[in-house]
Amino acid sequence: MSRPKLERLARHEDRLDHCISCGYCYEHCPIYKETRWETDAPRAKLALCYGLITGALEPSEYIAGKLHECFHCKRCEASCSAGVNLTEIFAAARADLRDLGYSPAGTVSQTDHEVCARCLGCVRLCPHEARSFDPVLGQVVTDPVKCQGCGSCLDLCPRAGIEIRRSFGTDPRSQLEKVGCYLKEKAPLEPRAVVFSCSWSNWPGFQAAVGPPGASQRAHETLVTVCAGRLESRTLLETLKAGAWGLLVTACPPDDCEHGGSARARRRVEALWADLDALGVDRRRIALVEVPKGDAKAFGAAVSAFLEEVRTLGPLFPL
Amino acid sequence: MNSQGDAKNQAVSMGPGLPSGYGTPDVGRLREIVGADNVAADPADCYVYGRDASVHRASAQAVVRPMDAAAVQALLRYASAERIPVIPRGSGSGMSGQAVPISGGIVLDMKGMNRILEINLADVYVRVEPGVVDDDLNKALRPHGVFYPPTPASSRIATIGGEIANNASGTRSVKYGATRDSVLGMKVVLASGELVTLGSRTRVEASGYQLARLMVGSEGTLGVIVEATMGFVPIPRFRCMGAACFDRLEEAGETISEIISSGCLPSVLELVDKVAILAANASLGLGLPEVEAMLLYEADGMVKEAVDYEIARMEEICRRHQGFGIKHSYDEKERMQIFYGRKKLFPALSKYKDLLACTSLADDMTVPYSKMADLARKIHEIAERNGLVMTAYGHCGSGCMHTKILMDTSKGEQWAAARRAVEELYEYVRSSGGTTSAEHGIGLSKAPDFKREKADSLELMRAVKRAFDPLNILNPMKLQDAPDDWLTATDLRYRQRDQAEPPR
Repeated sequence: MSRPKLERLARHEDRLDHCISCGYCYEHCPIYKETRWETDAPRAKLALCYGLITGALEPSEYIAGKLHECFHCKRCEASCSAGVNLTEIFAAARADLRDLGYSPAGTVSQTDHEVCARCLGCVRLCPHEARSFDPVLGQVVTDPVKCQGCGSCLDLCPRAGIEIRRSFGTDPRSQLEKVGCYLKEKAPLEPRAVVFSCSWSNWPGFQAAVGPPGASQRAHETLVTVCAGRLESRTLLETLKAGAWGLLVTACPPDDCEHGGSARARRRVEALWADLDALGVDRRRIALVEVPKGDAKAFGAAVSAFLEEVRTLGPLFPL
Repeated sequence: MNSQGDAKNQAVSMGPGLPSGYGTPDVGRLREIVGADNVAADPADCYVYGRDASVHRASAQAVVRPMDAAAVQALLRYASAERIPVIPRGSGSGMSGQAVPISGGIVLDMKGMNRILEINLADVYVRVEPGVVDDDLNKALRPHGVFYPPTPASSRIATIGGEIANNASGTRSVKYGATRDSVLGMKVVLASGELVTLGSRTRVEASGYQLARLMVGSEGTLGVIVEATMGFVPIPRFRCMGAACFDRLEEAGETISEIISSGCLPSVLELVDKVAILAANASLGLGLPEVEAMLLYEADGMVKEAVDYEIARMEEICRRHQGFGIKHSYDEKERMQIFYGRKKLFPALSKYKDLLACTSLADDMTVPYSKMADLARKIHEIAERNGLVMTAYGHCGSGCMHTKILMDTSKGEQWAAARRAVEELYEYVRSSGGTTSAEHGIGLSKAPDFKREKADSLELMRAVKRAFDPLNILNPMKLQDAPDDWLTATDLRYRQRDQAEPPR
């Protein structure tokens, strides 16, 4: 039974019918690959939308939460040969759910009003016009329909007063944990390098299998970040400090980056180069390459070239 | 169960439900058994895990993700004691409803068991847990110069466990066989919770009943595979892909028949008809020639002359049957280009026409090679008669034909027409000496025709099922025990809006 309360979503029912439910989107979704629950996969979120429209599912905090978890890398859309407009459908669902009173945190950026100085830098700089100042509340608020979870505001806030609560392994703490796990692996292959890969620019298409004993030795670890602009200098320096021989940041070409993050990543890396020079550390240990969206070949070539270079540099802290 | 009546009403009615005497899972107990992090039981989770790539939909009562064999054993002991249905599931990419929990119960998400345990190059086998994705396995094997050959089109998400349970095959099966030809042995947890080792690690085995083979294609009804030992083969040094166009579907069908019967050894031999070509062009912008049919063929080997020889023979046969626009390539990039549309064809079919959605019905069958041309013609004849659009494509070199029904899923009458078309098509398949499923399995949507085809061995199958699973808790009401009408077996994944109030 269709209910007028979900009218934006109901307009997409035809497109939902076109999803043949093949599940080929699984291999592209960074959120599914992190949790590996099917309910977090793009196909399942479309199913939830369908369930809401048809009345098979009642709206709930849980469902609203799922539908607010998306980094909008749109890799599922690009790979969908049935042509389903997933993020548009999710936006419709978010708008309808907002009208029903749901406002889950999800991947929507949240402001700590205690810390916020109301400088409104985030409002001016949000590439998706998702942030605004609410004069009645006297607070900066995020529009959950417009926010794409790119994290630009987290990066820009001078008081570190913004967070994305559901980060799915893309926040600095999780990333450093994964770096630690990788570097602690027994006898990893050389060079021990880390690749921070923007989820828009690279397309590795890897799944979640765990290799056989011995073969799990990897010469490098790939960590998917949100936008490269969100990578903190501290994460990069800590990675070197933890024992990585070198690290590579992949970002979109600046003109392709929808979040202005690519240019910020470059400025940050350039600043780090100056620091490395001052410390007497070879600056080639931190590299940045721009990989066009979805170009797996360019990504693979960039990683190979970087590993080659780092191998010649050897370990940063020889035993 | 086979109620006849108004198709519209049937399509929205509930499934027949389980016979009485089954228990329901206690989520608290499940959390104790496998850990709280590995249980999902929100209505949303139960809804999502109640679907796969088929037209069916049901609801699980809980989803459990075991991380090792011991957890599977503990869970099945509990399920046996309480008599709760357990439905093992890989990635849910099955097209016939195999993983749809028609009777509720616990869906066992096997993707948590995702380790490649051993690659043994000396003894030519690989040991894996069931949740390993096919493409991942091949990525791990590639550096050693070998590959795992069954490779269904869904290899990017399909798990090895699911492939075994379905006896999956794919484009290369014409030369390298189906999953059953790669399976050497496996560890299986029985319905009682007991762990047994079936088969061997050797290429051949004649030690009595081939129970490992019995698990292949059992669709989760006999046991839960928790480890599999599979063979692999060397990656050939040369692969050459060819494509030929045909103005008549029959000519393409005759070409297939002759290529195989003349003793050629293609590693790929695929048919794609006009509907599929149009859809691939619309979805992927491939710019393929919009002819009645195309054949894609490949030969591979370690010696280029041998590959050249096979390709030349196949080309000659294509030409003799009026094939034209023939091109070949050894180059990997060009080969991928030729083949790309085929790999993504299933979802692309939803783009054939705006109002038509691609449904997974009558999706898979085999006929003897000599009937291939006839079958292709029959598919379009049946589609036309029933006011539907159907495609003919598939790994015809291995005798496998796929179709899909493209229809307006919001109309009840289209579903009734689809049921007629499915029935007519499989009637032809049976009369021509073919079989109901080549590689997608039976599940729910092909069960009525499977039961007609296997009428004289259904009781034997039921006896086998009872021997493995006397309480009937493992994926009940599938295969030989599935309802007689797929359209009413479960709710459909689609809504017939001609009888609901239209959305504003």
